[in-house]
Amino acid sequence: MIAQLTLNERTSALGLLILVALTGALMAVIGGDDPFAAHGVIIILFCAVIAAFVISGFDAPEPRIDRQDSYYDDPTKVGIGLSMAWAVFGMFMGVWVAAQLAWPDLAFDGAWSSFGRIRPTHTTGVIFGFGGNALIATSFHVVQRTSRVRLAGQISPWFVLLGYNLFCLLAVTGYFMGVTQSKEYAEPEWYADLWLVVVWVTYFVVFLRTLARRREPHIYVANWYFMAFIVVVAILHIVNNLAVPISFTQSKSYTIWPGVQDAMVQWWYGHNAVAFFLTAGFLGMLYYYLPKRAERPIFSYRLSILSFWGITFFYMWAGSHHLHYTALPHWVQNLGMTFSVMLLVPSWASAGNALLTLNGAWDKVRDDATLRFMMAAVVFYGLSTFEGSFMAIRPVNSLSHYTDWTVGHVHAGALGWVALITFGSLYTLVPALWKRPQMYSPALVEAHFWLAIAGTLIYVFAMWNSGIIQGLMWRTYTEEGSLAYSFVDTLVAMYPYYIARTVGGALFLLGAIIGSYNIWMTAKRPFMPAATDDVPQALSPAHARVPAE
Amino acid sequence: MIVDHDTVVHFAKSWGLFYLIGFFAVVCVYTFWPSNRQRFRDAKSKILERDDKPCR
Amino acid sequence: MREFFHRKIERTAIGFVLAIIAAASVGGIVEIAPLFTIQETVEHAPNMRLYTPLELAGRNIYVREGCYACHSQMVRTLRDEVERYGQYSLAVESKYDHPMLWGSKRTGPDLARIGGKYSDYWHVAHLHNPREVTPESNMPAYRFLSRTPLETATLQSDLNAMRSIGVPYTQEMIDHAVKDAEAQATPDSENAANLLKRYGEKTQVSAFDGVTTQLTEMDALVAYLQVLGRLVELPAKQAASQPSERAP
Ligand code: HEC
Ligand code: HEM
Ligand code: HEM
Repeated sequence: MIAQLTLNERTSALGLLILVALTGALMAVIGGDDPFAAHGVIIILFCAVIAAFVISGFDAPEPRIDRQDSYYDDPTKVGIGLSMAWAVFGMFMGVWVAAQLAWPDLAFDGAWSSFGRIRPTHTTGVIFGFGGNALIATSFHVVQRTSRVRLAGQISPWFVLLGYNLFCLLAVTGYFMGVTQSKEYAEPEWYADLWLVVVWVTYFVVFLRTLARRREPHIYVANWYFMAFIVVVAILHIVNNLAVPISFTQSKSYTIWPGVQDAMVQWWYGHNAVAFFLTAGFLGMLYYYLPKRAERPIFSYRLSILSFWGITFFYMWAGSHHLHYTALPHWVQNLGMTFSVMLLVPSWASAGNALLTLNGAWDKVRDDATLRFMMAAVVFYGLSTFEGSFMAIRPVNSLSHYTDWTVGHVHAGALGWVALITFGSLYTLVPALWKRPQMYSPALVEAHFWLAIAGTLIYVFAMWNSGIIQGLMWRTYTEEGSLAYSFVDTLVAMYPYYIARTVGGALFLLGAIIGSYNIWMTAKRPFMPAATDDVPQALSPAHARVPAE
Repeated sequence: MIVDHDTVVHFAKSWGLFYLIGFFAVVCVYTFWPSNRQRFRDAKSKILERDDKPCR
Repeated sequence: MREFFHRKIERTAIGFVLAIIAAASVGGIVEIAPLFTIQETVEHAPNMRLYTPLELAGRNIYVREGCYACHSQMVRTLRDEVERYGQYSLAVESKYDHPMLWGSKRTGPDLARIGGKYSDYWHVAHLHNPREVTPESNMPAYRFLSRTPLETATLQSDLNAMRSIGVPYTQEMIDHAVKDAEAQATPDSENAANLLKRYGEKTQVSAFDGVTTQLTEMDALVAYLQVLGRLVELPAKQAASQPSERAP
């Protein structure tokens, strides 16, 4: 990996690491006994590990003169590994969180291990750790293939990937120490947020420069989604995290948004994090890896364009459906509801487009678990967007809000859509990247598929039941017109479902562990020269088209 | 004119709607513009070609 | 012409980025911008008081421990919620909240109106071990709070930061932040009288965790819980404006 870098680049990588480590050292010194200082130490350690790696390869021979003749896949490979590692961590935390709701003593009386602190480690671990790394890895892969040009920059892709992981690390270790802004999905404090801005701008630049150099006249639609994901997440992140730290030597800050405005900004952010992080980016994966694996072009390219702009436009209006019947002005609530219902159209257009792509290849879906992963993901995508539009209707939301129904919806989307499409894409990508004819064990892919499906179904059904039961119990009246159930009555009714959810989650986690093992073995297996794929060859006529620009 | 809450809300709602319609129209024109047909067709099948290295 | 325009947009990737921004930013602007004029429409609450330093510290502990992951602080305008928790929440009540803690999940009950519902003693016992008070509870135990002394050194910077984003703390309040925090947990002390002068007669002064010798995190958290829903003088209990649609 280091051998891909020139000596100069190796030196500047080290320089960069030293710079970041020095910042860490400064934080450690001025932070006193604040968690700020602990984070300084973590930054130093993080840099040290990478520096050790760079130094160990420092004497490797320099790369061939012209690296432009090959794609740059090292960051993608490492990104896949990191993604799976975060998946196992984040889902383990999810199972632990789920278990604590059923058996509260599993916090073992610790402060760091109590529910409120480890719940965000789960959400950050899976969304940003697992999902984010998968997005970075696949977007780097897709943009090169569809633009037919090498990734822009040598160190900057590494900076994006590793810098992003440093952000995730600061976030998760912060929660254990109680460092949080309390904003859901934007919990990390100001310095981590600033760092993410730097990383994200670099990501944007790498992506944009690669696109600008492309050898194709048209930007393939998958890149549109990745681009929307990068651009919009940047806007959301900056606006929602505007905050005033109490001092520059402490982690605590106060958001500049007060009360109602904060609620609107937070859910504008929260909903669009769903839209552009958990949906747009993964649709990008879908539009590349699904046709690739099915060996069929996407059913309708035009439909994909229409749904792209539909999603980009409509999602932004929908955030206020998280605030129905609250102190937010009425008209904003109604606006959010309207757009949420309209959102169903582009969402189902995407889902339909994907399913119609598979139409005529159902035999492949039957035989190939990888393709089945993607098909199931599309079905769950259709399901959770329908459910979401339904829950956004005010009267429905009056029942579902605050209950486990929301959690059921979240995981129908998160497990069923986000995780399944990721696994499907990785199983397509991994053999291609490491130049293997197939995954190490197709049987294990099959096993993973069924574990994931079983886990998702158990989880989602349990939460639908508990959510609807609790919502109904809260509003049930006796004959005399008083509330029939105390809060604790409704809590007691939840326990069986909390246990079921833990079991479902454990199955899903088991699947992820198997998947990680399978990917690891595929990468590690001794090299088997298969076809002539890996040797540079003369340009095929198909490739020698007129360059764009 | 006094810019109070209602004015802002009114402005946001009406122009938001016009914007929506206009945007939709532009996207449709782009999508269905006849001369774009060929490039879309190329785009969707080209990703299936084998690609082991960048094109130069 | 049209065609040329689109080609151009697409070819220059940056034009494409601008199109994304144009598409995506309107929704947020339309919904958020008018909220800056909301002060005109929000209920007026001339007698609303500020969080005392101790309550603010308690609020920060509430944030730190993630209580908001299980507890909402937003009674919706639905009949059953008003009957269960009390008057529905008004926008003005979170005017000084940075951040708001409305929450999105009720694993435990809403806390917007918890202030004054239970004694300090009850809260301390409950936080120590919820299952001793409510055997069926799945709320975590927070014993360590009474063992941990409250960090008061940062209180001035806390108030200062709040003031810089528009919460009307006076210089006097900032200067006396630490004393005020201690005073609030030490009934009948000399400073307690000053605290009441600064924050209003209704401010609750009490030995929250039952021990006056040391200021702990438990003191702060209980002080915060006891002020929830009581910063503003609310009109007499109101029925929900929209009755719960499906309540029989
Ligand atoms: C795992 C979710 C969970 C977390 C985290 C949690 N609680 Fe609770 N809480 C509950 C449940 C469930 C109940 C209802 C049963 C009971 O009284 O214990 C409850 C009840 C309460 C009550 C009594 C409400 C009433 O009206 O009777 C208070 C006060 C309270 N919690 C405060 C807190 C505080 C403060 C924190 C953070 C330090 C916190 N809770 C964290 C679940 C949680
Ligand atoms: C092993 C599988 C998983 C288990 C057992 C699990 C469990 C949980 C639990 C117990 C909660 C807290 C619910 C509550 O507060 O009542 C939760 C919340 C959440 N999880 Fe998971 N989870 C899993 C996988 C995932 C994945 C893969 C994702 C995303 C890609 C995800 C995203 C979320 C989100 C966004 C929330 C917050 C929901 C909300 O605030 O309403 N989870 N999860
Ligand atoms: C058309 C598309 C969708 C619509 C209209 C929609 C709508 C909704 C609604 C109404 C809620 C409940 C808000 C509340 O009562 O608190 C919600 C919550 C949520 N949805 Fe969706 N949803 C959609 C798609 C998705 C998808 C695909 C995911 C992918 C993972 C997702 C993830 C979430 C999350 C994480 C939450 C929980 C937020 C929280 O309370 O913490 N949604 N959504």
